[in-house]
Amino acid sequence: MISFASFPTQTQNYGITKHHPDVQDDVNMDIVFDEEDLSSKRLTCPGEVLTSSQTFMRGHGTYVVDEEVISSVAGTIEKVNKLISVRAVRTRYNPEVGDLIVGRIAEVQPKRWKVDANSRQDAVLMLSSVNLPGGVQRRKLESDELQMRTFFEEGDLLVAEVQAFFADGAMSIHTRSLKYGKLRNGQLVVVPPVLIRRLKSHFVTLPCGVDLILGLNGYIWVSKHVKDNEQEGEEGFDAEAVYSNRNDAIDDATRSAIARVSNIIRTLATYFVPLTDAVLLEAYEWCVEQEGGVADVLQQDVGEALVAALNAPR
Amino acid sequence: MMASISKSEKAYIQASLLSSNPLRADGRGLHDYRTVSLETGVAPLANGSARVNFGKAVDEGGGGTEVLAATKLEIEDVKPGEGEEGGRIVCTVTCSPAAYPQLSSNALDELQYDYTTILHQTLSHPSLHPTDLGIIPYKKSWLLNVDLVVLSDAGNIYDALFMSARAALWDTKVPVTRAVQYVPPQSDGARGKTDTEDTMEVEGVGSSSLDTRHMPTASDFELSDYWDEGAPLSGREKWPVCVTLNIHSTAYFLDATLLEEASIPLKLLVVYTFTSPTSSSIQALRLVGPGELQLPQIEKLLQESEPFARQLHTALNTKLKDEDIRRNQKARDRFALRS
Repeated sequence: MISFASFPTQTQNYGITKHHPDVQDDVNMDIVFDEEDLSSKRLTCPGEVLTSSQTFMRGHGTYVVDEEVISSVAGTIEKVNKLISVRAVRTRYNPEVGDLIVGRIAEVQPKRWKVDANSRQDAVLMLSSVNLPGGVQRRKLESDELQMRTFFEEGDLLVAEVQAFFADGAMSIHTRSLKYGKLRNGQLVVVPPVLIRRLKSHFVTLPCGVDLILGLNGYIWVSKHVKDNEQEGEEGFDAEAVYSNRNDAIDDATRSAIARVSNIIRTLATYFVPLTDAVLLEAYEWCVEQEGGVADVLQQDVGEALVAALNAPR
Repeated sequence: MMASISKSEKAYIQASLLSSNPLRADGRGLHDYRTVSLETGVAPLANGSARVNFGKAVDEGGGGTEVLAATKLEIEDVKPGEGEEGGRIVCTVTCSPAAYPQLSSNALDELQYDYTTILHQTLSHPSLHPTDLGIIPYKKSWLLNVDLVVLSDAGNIYDALFMSARAALWDTKVPVTRAVQYVPPQSDGARGKTDTEDTMEVEGVGSSSLDTRHMPTASDFELSDYWDEGAPLSGREKWPVCVTLNIHSTAYFLDATLLEEASIPLKLLVVYTFTSPTSSSIQALRLVGPGELQLPQIEKLLQESEPFARQLHTALNTKLKDEDIRRNQKARDRFALRS
């Protein structure tokens, strides 16, 4: 029922950056910092001296002390001409136009919703950027404004696309597609945003009857598979179905598949494995082969074996 | 605490609880805990300390419900009416704003107060009072401060608070003291020359020493030279454990995550103490949430919760004993290296 563990013992090698074995040799070779060695492969430690401020301009994630550019975060170095910046490994989501995100409504305001999207500021979903009942193209009326909570209310999850940015850097998102909108029939898993790779499609269907929506902001929606021809709003927009809060009937097999996929995602995130549809599919097959319980993959040894199996050359 | 949750997520969790084969979001059974990490002796300046984390993956940087507990002994005067031994226990819970970023500072204060109340009321109950908090009868005693900090909350905060408090109290060492007494010299002639203060007092009361015969005479104490920081606080087996039953209509489950807590109407906190392997007693009982329960249901839940608390108690004791061994070994190794 309950099991105890110890906290991991702290390693004492502060100031040493751990690198991937593939680049470890390259890193060891370049002891002298010159312009060439600031490759994007390198990882930095906070406080690590990157280069001289005489030759480079400091960008995000760096600061200058004694004419030296020093990294303020752990991350990868990015160099654009003479501008040097560090992109942090653990950070909030940096939105870009066209990204697919999964968000949660934080606030309902006049003519807009504020959406928590794991970004520095809440995203804004304008009333004019959602599909409304009674035809896709129509003017927003005062009555729509009064019943905004019937579309989305606080806590609701939705999938949307980044449309534009405001002057203060907040993103504006939209759900004007039949693929986007309110989420149901499943559960949310949160991972660091850097782990979500850009894919051809972020709507993934696994053969175990599970749909995944990999939001680029690190929110992943794991839900029961909905057949394409049953998707809401196929013929004429059915607002009742699109903004419904009611789940479909979900059988036990699907439930356990959803739980298993969620646990796999959590485990892969723990070991910092970038997530793609191929990786997830392979991991799921591996877990089914092991014939373990749904929660087994959260154990340390099983998790390590899974990551080792995924990394094994074929 | 008040994690926002959508209606469909709530319905998903509730339907899963009530289904014939209940399965939770992370594949746990209804009565399974997440992995609990526990460490004692984390604060070097405290008399006893512990850190508890519910649900952090081993290699992960953060996550889980994390509570830090520490005890500190302070000397205070025994006030009249506190008995011979005296000694008080004061619990304080502080919530880090980082644990509840959505709360305003007022709301955070209220939450802290709620946690403090339940912990203080339970732990400072006379039935749990340790016997070795007195220093000088009727004069000085130890004030035992139990301070807890909630570093992050990922659900099931009460169990974590009680568990960390228990671990810190288990870890508490009371400095060994020896009462010092002034013994007046026998001959009257020497009196008044060596200790002016005492003779002054005696003169104020009167020369007759008959009245003071039955008064405790020890007036001060010293710390005796002891091989360790002190002796373990007495009655450390008695400190209670808490089991939170999260109730949704007929089903209940243990160790809820934030989302699960947000989707159930009622929590039943049962605090048990186990004085012997067979007997147990309920130290505290509390219902949290807007839901309702009938009395027969509560009786049934209490009966069913006892085995869970017992398992928790046994597992925690084993872990705490392991921790004692680990820390002692570590100290030995350290000294062995030095010599």
